[in-house]
Amino acid sequence: MRVFFLVLFVAVSAPLLAQEDLFSMLDAAQGPVKKAPVAATFKGTRVVNLQTNELPASGVGQLIISHRFGTINDRPLYNFLGLDVAQMRLEYSYSPAHWLNLGLGRSSGNKTYDAFAKVRFLRQKQDGMPLSALYYHSTNLNSTDFNDGVNHYFTDRIAFTHQLILARKWSDEFSFEVAPTVVHFNLVGTPSDPNDQYGIGLGGRYKLTDRMALTAEYFARVHRPDGFYDPLSVGLDMETGGHVFQFHVSNARYMNDPSWMMLTPGSWGKGDLYFGFNLSRVFTHRAPKMAKEIEVL
Amino acid sequence: MKKVLFAALVAVSALSATAQRFLAKETYIRFFSSTPVEDVEATTSTAVAVWDRATGEVAFQVSIKSFTFEKALMQEHFNENYLHSDKYPKATFKGKLTDAAAVNWDIDGTYSAQLKGTMNIHGVEKVIVVPATVVIKDKAPSLSSKFKVKCVDYNIEIPTVVFAKIAEEIEVTVKAKFDVIKS
Repeated sequence: MRVFFLVLFVAVSAPLLAQEDLFSMLDAAQGPVKKAPVAATFKGTRVVNLQTNELPASGVGQLIISHRFGTINDRPLYNFLGLDVAQMRLEYSYSPAHWLNLGLGRSSGNKTYDAFAKVRFLRQKQDGMPLSALYYHSTNLNSTDFNDGVNHYFTDRIAFTHQLILARKWSDEFSFEVAPTVVHFNLVGTPSDPNDQYGIGLGGRYKLTDRMALTAEYFARVHRPDGFYDPLSVGLDMETGGHVFQFHVSNARYMNDPSWMMLTPGSWGKGDLYFGFNLSRVFTHRAPKMAKEIEVL
Repeated sequence: MKKVLFAALVAVSALSATAQRFLAKETYIRFFSSTPVEDVEATTSTAVAVWDRATGEVAFQVSIKSFTFEKALMQEHFNENYLHSDKYPKATFKGKLTDAAAVNWDIDGTYSAQLKGTMNIHGVEKVIVVPATVVIKDKAPSLSSKFKVKCVDYNIEIPTVVFAKIAEEIEVTVKAKFDVIKS
């Protein structure tokens, strides 16, 4: 009789076992979820002028067209708040790998050509690595005519920027980054200016909606000669499909790294402010591999 | 006594024969949105599905982040702005064939059927009925289905600036090949 109950128990429980939640089976079949990298810390690869931890995806190129208008306090009505006079920057970069971006740029201010590289070596992960870390470098060539009557070496035109970018997305809305920087000028303006100049960039964004965010950046210099100010910019990022529009107001007008970081003559206190925008567009040169369709018939 | 025992054993073995479960590990899912301006496609082959022959229940599960798009930025927007995959990492479906008798598990062949069940996308549940083709081969099933999903049904908002590029109805293709789970 005991055997009978045992068998009966098995017979009854067999279909009960079948009621076990199918989703827990699917969870088991899918295996542990890989720690996903945190995406979209910033909308753009720059806050305004300062580089962010973002780079275009692997196989993707990015064109950025930037404008900085004239100062808004110079005959504002006559110059339509500076919109009559614009400086511009063109930049194209490409990411051969998800962690590497290489680019070229040309900025109006000081007629500067630059080549830059951005290397991401740490990536913030959900429930893992708390921040992203990148190295950024740019080599800049000032191509304006020298008019001081002195014979110059070609290398006098060159300046280098080295930067460590430490960024973290603190929440869906808020991201912040710190970027210790050194700029090496082969030629400086006065004998009292050091060739190596240090500074620290601070940048942040606060997302207002899925597609709009407030941004701000500040660059604090260690060497502070008279007549130059720390650049401070505030902006609005707007995303529309393949474009990101970044509108901002800043006391920095230059767009090449050594100049906007260390040689900003405008001051917020005096109202030397400039409207500007960056417009980015991405182009897919190498498409990601699509999943293969399985044959069922 | 022995007779009862024997009968019970037969009952158990018969039950376990029909209590077979099938798993589809590399299930393929494709999204396709078509407008005159732009076609957008996304695929994954890492979805999973399970089919319980005894209860007739079929369940699918897919990780939203596993979808690959032709353009990386689309993928970022899909996760970040449309599906909010940090908050809703999975999409699931659980249902049954509306007419279990439509499929004869013992005869190899292709059967037209209908699946009815609950779809969960973007944290929103909705009961749906979709057409399905079931293929039985060597007593193991394959399933394919193609149906439309309305973005608005799952609170997926498409802003006016990209309205022309993303269709209001997304075509979904599912293909799963099941293997029996050996226990």
